[in-house]
Amino acid sequence: MEVVRSIAGIEPVKNLISWARAWSLWSVHLCTGCCPNELMAVSCARFDWERFGTLPFPSLRECDLLIITGFVTNKMAKRVKLIYDQMPDPKYVMVVGHCAISGGLWWDSYSVVQGVDKMLPVDVYVPGCPPRPEAWIQGLHMLQEKIIRNKL
Amino acid sequence: MQVSWGPQHPASGHLRFILDVDGDSVLNLEPDVGYTHRGIEKLTENRTYLQNIPVVERINSYCDATNTVLGYIEVVEELLECEVPERARFIRVIMAEMNRIASHLYWLCLMSISVGFETMLMWTMNERELFLDLFEMITGARITYSALRPGGVRYDIPHGFEEVATKYLNHFERRLKDYYKMIFENSTFRLRTIGVGSISSSDAIKLGLVGPCLRASGVATDVRKDEPYEVYQNFDFNIPVEKAGDAYARSLIRFHEMEESVSIIRQALRSIPEGPIRKRVPLVVPKGEAYSRVEAARGELGYYLVANGTDKPYRLKVSTPSFRNMAALPYITRNVTIADIPAIYMSLDLIPLDIDR
Repeated sequence: MEVVRSIAGIEPVKNLISWARAWSLWSVHLCTGCCPNELMAVSCARFDWERFGTLPFPSLRECDLLIITGFVTNKMAKRVKLIYDQMPDPKYVMVVGHCAISGGLWWDSYSVVQGVDKMLPVDVYVPGCPPRPEAWIQGLHMLQEKIIRNKL
Repeated sequence: MQVSWGPQHPASGHLRFILDVDGDSVLNLEPDVGYTHRGIEKLTENRTYLQNIPVVERINSYCDATNTVLGYIEVVEELLECEVPERARFIRVIMAEMNRIASHLYWLCLMSISVGFETMLMWTMNERELFLDLFEMITGARITYSALRPGGVRYDIPHGFEEVATKYLNHFERRLKDYYKMIFENSTFRLRTIGVGSISSSDAIKLGLVGPCLRASGVATDVRKDEPYEVYQNFDFNIPVEKAGDAYARSLIRFHEMEESVSIIRQALRSIPEGPIRKRVPLVVPKGEAYSRVEAARGELGYYLVANGTDKPYRLKVSTPSFRNMAALPYITRNVTIADIPAIYMSLDLIPLDIDR
């Protein structure tokens, strides 16, 4: 294990690993708000973001991307935290929609978490209500760029 | 033994079920709702009637935004007693029917993946994009439009819309025939849905089902026919009714509804009058109470509004179709196998956002 770790630390190998990670981001199938309808659109025929190496996957133990789709209520927040803790490292969080970023339309609601970044470390924000599929793809590209540049 | 099903589950959406199981058969199913509760009914009391339009839209912006707002607009207009231009009413009907098709296509995609049929998922989502394109032409948005206003609509139909819409509808009608062959004559789909989750007509009435779920049990009710709102009385359309009341019948009803909606859109495009699309209405709603209902994609959607003479509602109660259809879920999932639960759950077309509000 020590040997593997030391090899993974060498510059070309490290770059190779982060390149491979960036192009195989599997996302957890978790719906929290209204944005999953655009998640369906973006992962289906016309926009098809599977061509960028991402795939919504049922088992969270094999996933490395958590997409928060829309507002997170207080009841859902506990489950989101539980799911985030169960995912293996390295893991990335992409937050989609105004409601998840800052509370959005539900700024005065008694049951909505005002910003997911209060409970999870967030890598990419995609604003919109709901964001267009092109915005989702741009968000994914930003995350991939971040991973390839070894910032994560 | 108790099994928890959801909220992180490929077929569950935002809902969680607590299943009491014995081996593979389900003894009892208890829906655990509230994962998407935002308190919309309370939030509407702090916003003006115009500000409430996007808030109310999010009750079911998931796939059926226009019909959801239409109910709210209807109830406000009932208290305002305002005149609505005829052209605006036609635009409302066109948008409502397009949204019904988009919603049913979204349901068909979920239904087909819940029975393990991924080709249909790609097909239906591809055709749904056409209707979202049409919405983009009218309003500039794909999912959430907020295009209806008390006293009319915000956007007129753009130049050249009719040609594009006719082209898309012709294409869609051809595709519907393919869908029928692909899924409704498919032996696997028939095996997984025929006789699964049956409800008799008397039980369906007792449980308070609405919409396609009720019509699948042989009760011919549709708000568009029984109590025509907007300009539905001008159009010639049928209400599809099935006898069996199982998951297959519910699927078939929605499929035939798409055909009827195509015919309504065609008639509306043909007979749409010229004229203004919006009239000025006061911002303050006079004191009073009103109830209005519309036929949303999932069934009857009711709004009860109590106004106290200010620019904000005193109380807005929403009766959503998914909430009422969910009442049947514990009843029809008794003594079925766990493998049947996704098919039954999807055939009721429950949207948790709609249930929790």
